[in-house]
Amino acid sequence: MRKVWVVVRREFIERVRNKWFIASTILGPILMGALIVVPILMAERGGRERTIVVVDVTTSDFGRRVTDRFSGRVPVQATRLAVPLDRLEAVADSLAGLVGTQAEQAAIDGFLILTDATVEDGSAEYRGGNVSSLVDMSVLERVVREVVLVERLNRVGVDPALVSRATIPVSLTTVGIRGGKATEDSGEATFLLAYALWFILYMAILLYGAQVSGSVVEEKTSRVIEVLISSLRPFELLGGKIVGVGAVGLFQFLIWGISGKVMLDQSETIAGWFNVDLAGATSFSLPVVPASTIVIFLVYFFLGYFLYAAMFAATAAMSGSEAESRQAQFPVIMLLMIPTVLMLSILQQPDGEVAVALSLIPFCSPIAMPVRWAAAEVPIGEVALSIALLAATLLLVTWVAGRIYRVGILMYGKRPNMAELARWVRTR
Amino acid sequence: MTTHDTVVSVAGVTKRYAGHTAVHDLSLEIPKGVIYGLLGPNGAGKTTTIRMIMNIIVPDEGRVELFGGNATGRAMAHRIGYLPEERGLYRKMRVSDLLVFLAEIKGTRRSVAKSEAERWLERLGLGDWREKKIDDLSKGMQQKVQFIATVLHQPDLLILDEPFSGFDPVNTALMKDIIVELARAGTTVLFSTHIMEQAEKLCRAVCIIARGTKVVDGPVTAVKQQHGGRHVMVSVDGGLQGTERIFADRTLVGNVDDYGQYAEVEMADGATSQALLGALVQAGLNVTQFQVAEPTLNKIFIDLVGPEATQPRAEEVVDA
Repeated sequence: MRKVWVVVRREFIERVRNKWFIASTILGPILMGALIVVPILMAERGGRERTIVVVDVTTSDFGRRVTDRFSGRVPVQATRLAVPLDRLEAVADSLAGLVGTQAEQAAIDGFLILTDATVEDGSAEYRGGNVSSLVDMSVLERVVREVVLVERLNRVGVDPALVSRATIPVSLTTVGIRGGKATEDSGEATFLLAYALWFILYMAILLYGAQVSGSVVEEKTSRVIEVLISSLRPFELLGGKIVGVGAVGLFQFLIWGISGKVMLDQSETIAGWFNVDLAGATSFSLPVVPASTIVIFLVYFFLGYFLYAAMFAATAAMSGSEAESRQAQFPVIMLLMIPTVLMLSILQQPDGEVAVALSLIPFCSPIAMPVRWAAAEVPIGEVALSIALLAATLLLVTWVAGRIYRVGILMYGKRPNMAELARWVRTR
Repeated sequence: MTTHDTVVSVAGVTKRYAGHTAVHDLSLEIPKGVIYGLLGPNGAGKTTTIRMIMNIIVPDEGRVELFGGNATGRAMAHRIGYLPEERGLYRKMRVSDLLVFLAEIKGTRRSVAKSEAERWLERLGLGDWREKKIDDLSKGMQQKVQFIATVLHQPDLLILDEPFSGFDPVNTALMKDIIVELARAGTTVLFSTHIMEQAEKLCRAVCIIARGTKVVDGPVTAVKQQHGGRHVMVSVDGGLQGTERIFADRTLVGNVDDYGQYAEVEMADGATSQALLGALVQAGLNVTQFQVAEPTLNKIFIDLVGPEATQPRAEEVVDA
């Protein structure tokens, strides 16, 4: 055990001293800070009012009513321009010249063409420089849709008072429920937390797994392995290495967690440095992370990391070079990507069949279960079953990987095929 | 014949790999406190034998005993200093950190490892380099660091696989001095080499192997007595001109190794060296050297296994 500890300490100290570790540890909180400040800055800059022209070719007052509608609570300044149908193309051409010009007074973002057909079949046309902005387009579409609806109802003789009451928009407030109690979190915040958990788990398992792989290949290519293996049992070396790299990961999480907490607490001060008014500018609330979620996260991070680290170590031990090991670990990465590819179905339906299956399958559960846990309530029995399956798989995989590792680290030359690998596992 | 004075005992070990037998039924005994040479050309099975002694690979047949017990080389790591043929260190580590780490995994206490590392680095002239990374060191310095890692924990048994390969002559002499000094202090040394001349100067006992099989083993004096005593080094004024007729006399001379300036002559069966000297004097040759010599290990080796089994290259060592 003392020897394992010596290996753990070496891995930890050498890695923490490494300039990449220092850089990524410092960059983490800076990115987190940017995550708070930049969207607000962007929102302020991008949030200026759009200026459009409503090209009214209709023979009714529909165009006027659409234009009036824009003067309400929407961030669009609209000017109506009545145009006879035969002059439409000429007017459109000259308006196109105004889109995006430097002349402040005359510049427009685009123009909306409304015809009699708009009320009939719902067709309208917008030409502008901001057509790729989903937000802008949905505002335009919503306004036109609302006015068209009112117009159609009026035409069939529905009482205008009734129509205006019927079209009062709905405002849905979402509140998450956990353990029978309402939480502070909005649905948006729950989604954000689940998404963040996925990202951290996926990246951490991938990056720290790859570090284990790199460490194994380094010892093999530098040939230091023979000195090590004359003093240490392969399992001692592998175990110490995996624990050491995992400890580095935990250490980094700790630094990020504490600095993230401090920054959230001080977010108003930080926002102040950038002249950003946080209270007025943001409507989105950051999630409150419950202790149970942190526990689940850590349990699955460790089980998942150990599982994948063992597989990464085995693939690295089979390889004679860094490049070869990257090729050999491809199937392992594919395995890790399964829950990522199916991420959306977990988030959309945390109780659905796909989500339940993924959170039980050992190679997917390290990522799928914490995401499910964050997104919805998971029966405790399912969590227990998932952890049991994962732990059993971990033992089996570690045993096989350890045996491949034991033989592989002293083998040079051609990469083994499946039959040779099977022999490695069986040898004494 | 294993006694408690036997440090390493190898009994009938065999190691087969797919397609060939690397070591076949090899036995050897290394007594305490001697320098023991494991000799043979490249590919003879020296490294495989050493790895089996270290229990890095497990023999298919036979057994290895260390210090008279059943414990493996790994369990005995604190008493063994192992220098593998394939040298290698963590390239990104600082010299002193690396030395302390390698001593600690052999069971040395951290504080002891630190002071010993300091002492050895000073002794080998690397004192100013202790905080440098391995990568910043020259190849020769890295070799010294690796050597320090082998002896730092004060082992009772040193197992050195081709210890002098990659060293320049100055450092080779330095390493040799340290090995001799440690052996005098009671350390048992097993080293392998394909350079017979080296072994001849250093070893009290040897085991010569070729193609995985033992050719001969035992104390160097015994090996030489057994396989020689019939060799004469001859040189005459003006090279070896005029000796051709005498050397061709098969009743007198069995075999001649002509080096140009001198010749190593093996006497024919029944002939004495005195008869050869008489013949040379009678022929009017000015004999400048006439020495009844023990055969070199190299000569014994070639005689026993045939010239095709000797080392592929002379002094040049393949440093992979």
